[in-house]
Amino acid sequence: MEKVLITGIAGGQGRLLARRLRERYEVCGVDRMPWEGAPRGIQVHLVDIRKKKFEDVIRTEQPSAIVHMGFIRHFRTSPRERYDVNVRGTKQLLDHCVAHGVKNLVVFSSSYVYGAFPENPFYMDEDAPLSASRSYPEIRDLVEVDTLASAFLWRYPHIRTCVLRPVNVLGYYVHSMIGQYLRERRVPTVLGFDPMMQFIHEEDVSDAIALALEQGLQGVFNVAGPGEVPLHTAIRETGGTARAIPEIIMRPLFVQLFRFGVIPYPPGAIDYLKYPVTVSGARFAEATRFRPLFGLEEIFHSVRR
Amino acid sequence: MARPGARSALADLAGALVPLSAQRLQRRVAERLERIPNRLNEFGFDPYGLSPEWIQRLSLPAVLLYEYYFRCKTYGIEHVPPGRVLVVANHAGQLPFDGMMLATALLLEAEPPRIARGMGEYWIPQIPGFSVLAARGGTLVGTPENCTLMLKNGECVAVFPEGVRGMNKLYKDRYVLQRFGLGFMRLALETDTPIVPVGIVGSEEQQPGFANLSALGRLLGMPAFPVTPTFPWLGPLGLLPLPVRYHLHFGEPMRFEGDADEDDAAVERRVEEVRAAISGLLKRGLAERSGVFR
Repeated sequence: MEKVLITGIAGGQGRLLARRLRERYEVCGVDRMPWEGAPRGIQVHLVDIRKKKFEDVIRTEQPSAIVHMGFIRHFRTSPRERYDVNVRGTKQLLDHCVAHGVKNLVVFSSSYVYGAFPENPFYMDEDAPLSASRSYPEIRDLVEVDTLASAFLWRYPHIRTCVLRPVNVLGYYVHSMIGQYLRERRVPTVLGFDPMMQFIHEEDVSDAIALALEQGLQGVFNVAGPGEVPLHTAIRETGGTARAIPEIIMRPLFVQLFRFGVIPYPPGAIDYLKYPVTVSGARFAEATRFRPLFGLEEIFHSVRR
Repeated sequence: MARPGARSALADLAGALVPLSAQRLQRRVAERLERIPNRLNEFGFDPYGLSPEWIQRLSLPAVLLYEYYFRCKTYGIEHVPPGRVLVVANHAGQLPFDGMMLATALLLEAEPPRIARGMGEYWIPQIPGFSVLAARGGTLVGTPENCTLMLKNGECVAVFPEGVRGMNKLYKDRYVLQRFGLGFMRLALETDTPIVPVGIVGSEEQQPGFANLSALGRLLGMPAFPVTPTFPWLGPLGLLPLPVRYHLHFGEPMRFEGDADEDDAAVERRVEEVRAAISGLLKRGLAERSGVFR
């Protein structure tokens, strides 16, 4: 049985994936937080991917494949720490892959890297520029991670590298920012804007990663879900009430509220409530025959309050 | 909060206040919308945010303008083929009532009825409220990618190759076609799409512009600053167009073959053919009408 190492295994998506892969692979993982009650046979190492201990784990476990999803996506830690974990951590992980003969690598990015702009065409393919940093500087580290991984893909073709950019992930286990946002009782929106948003269920995301692993997929792929709805429809369907705020008030308000830690959403995220970031999942669907199992209604139901 | 019962009573009252002729028009719009094939999801939206329910509700002002204000007449609308098509028209009149009337004509008179997909400027999605209305009505940002996507989906895309150059032309230049952009022709070649030229007569007199203070417009963040007999003198009221009669002349579909990546000169020759066709339609329309308001 081949061995897969998952970084960020104790996170919601990591746990789901570990359980999903357990049938076909030997699974181990690393995280900075423990996974209480991890299923038997899944070895979880408490290490920081930036530390030397991480390399020791790879050396002893000798995984043939790595799924890299150990990123800090929230903004509770300092930007410096976040950048260091995400960018330097990824850089070192890539070096370890070369040094220790890892054959397969899946990097879990996001469709947010394209950025939200009024001039965005609908259903962008993977060749669209990664412009998120232009309006959302708070996540420029994640854009850099995507770029690093894509460059790695070309530089080391003998390591089968796959960068996945899923749309908004929702589900019971996963702690995505969009999930947190939609779970609010009163959901702030920007007055006069209602962009189309794509969603995918966390189980389907696990499936997509498993497919990429099993088929040794190589390349950069968007992963789209079953469909898309305007933001306000998503808010209604997840049981919230939209509170539209004029942008002229919302921006300065969010800057202050975010600075003092009242809200977890940085001001750069506001643009994603104004302009659509929709991607085409055609390339991935063609390569893997991936079809999402969960429909939009089931997805919304999974985060309904 | 109003209880559902109270809300429906309010809706009934509002419905009763809409004149009978308007109700008839609304029913006609609903019937025609039902005949248009679309790809709606379980929430009633197509993948680009279009909603027939919204169109039905919001089209009433446009339909009333079409029937009673501009008293539109269409000629040769049977030339619009089913399936993908680029409808190319002249553009004028300070405010895009011509686009609105063209879309209304395609919805009410074309067989089968069509939803005109507008290819909008980049600033449209940036205006609160308007961004939602445009999306629900089927207008997209006019990137080449979006236009190709629409044509491949078999949609009817309306384009005004004169752009703002046409929109803000002066009264003395009425019915003189400005320079055409080349983008639409490249897309037509790439997707093998027929082009239906349309000459819109009436729009170019709806708000006669005497000057365009573009520097002042830039200062105010507007694409132009037209001076008309009523604007800016009467304030927002000055934006009201004159009740000219619209004549929409649809020409025969034109088909072009060739390489979409040819140099500008080669593409321009074909664009000139379309421009000449529209020019001809305008000439005919002007000769046939008996007055600006008739």
